[in-house]
Amino acid sequence: MSDTIELAVTRYRPEQDTQPWEQRYTVPCSDDMSVLDALNYIKDALDPSLSHRWSCRMAICGSCGVMVNGEPKLSCKTFLRDYREAGVLEVRALDNLPVERDLVADISGVVEHIEAVKPWLIRHSEAPVDTAHSQTPAQMARYHAFSQCINCALCYAACPQFGRNPAFLGPAALTLAQRYNLDSRDEGSSERMPWLNAEEGVWSCTFVGYCSEVCPKDVDPASAINRGKVASDINYGVNLFRLLRGKGDA
Amino acid sequence: MRKPWQPQQPRSWWLRNPAYRRYMLREATALPLLLYTLLLLAGIVQFSRGEAAFATWLSWLQTPAGLLLQGIALAAALLHAVTWVALVPKILVIDSDRLRIDPRHVLRAHQLGALAGNLGLVGATLWLLWPAGGA
Repeated sequence: MSDTIELAVTRYRPEQDTQPWEQRYTVPCSDDMSVLDALNYIKDALDPSLSHRWSCRMAICGSCGVMVNGEPKLSCKTFLRDYREAGVLEVRALDNLPVERDLVADISGVVEHIEAVKPWLIRHSEAPVDTAHSQTPAQMARYHAFSQCINCALCYAACPQFGRNPAFLGPAALTLAQRYNLDSRDEGSSERMPWLNAEEGVWSCTFVGYCSEVCPKDVDPASAINRGKVASDINYGVNLFRLLRGKGDA
Repeated sequence: MRKPWQPQQPRSWWLRNPAYRRYMLREATALPLLLYTLLLLAGIVQFSRGEAAFATWLSWLQTPAGLLLQGIALAAALLHAVTWVALVPKILVIDSDRLRIDPRHVLRAHQLGALAGNLGLVGATLWLLWPAGGA
């Protein structure tokens, strides 16, 4: 068993480079080492010029997403031991996003998409602060999986429709819209439906389904978006009915 | 000063990953079904042109090319049906305060519906053809 492994890291230094290029590093390999540990080893011991993003080391901050052998992964949750057979580990910045430097992808466009769908509880009137909005366990279960999103953008790296058209709101934003629309305490679906119904909304999804495969938190965005299509259909029918009665959109 | 690298999606993006290849295969099932639909349309046209023309069309169906096209169309239809039905529980979620149906039951109902529909179709075809063929 080899105690080292080779990492082929795609570098991009905006001051010097006109396009990305590959640099190889040999790093120690043990059963407990993650890809993030390997990147930190390179940074600390081999090449301080390498840039990568990370924070919590426990798959909750969503900072350390990279492509590992062509698959979007959280580098803290991906272990070198699973790549011993492959020999070389190809690491590059997340696909479908602008690369700021080395392994740092610019996710600001994704964050703007997420903000657009108003991912927070919207109430027509705020309840007094000394009471809580009650919710049964069954009501919570309806959106709970969708609320586990950590905004790591792996689903955007996995989505060929987002790669084709960055205006597509994409998996995480549309999942969060569904997450709040399905919340029994929320009253804001009429403010989110125009985003779901839009050209850049749920109808740009063609159910490739890879977003759900790569999600490190088992959120299943493909299901959320395609349930959003059902919601969008119903909304269309309701709005048509309301239009005939001279009322505004629901 | 910032100078982000803007990646371009290559035309071969779908060859990069098994998940994308499976997706493209699922979507590509539409192509053999289009050809099969054209084949049936050609049959109707030939039928309107008389018995001899229709007999020629029927005999073409039994040539290796005809059988290959029908075989591919059948395989594509089956793949499309199986992959589509498998996705149903992710789309059709019946879960409200008034009514909740287990996703496994939704899947089972679709599988049974597809099976009943196909068996019914084969049964009806045999029933219609049997007196003519058997007598």
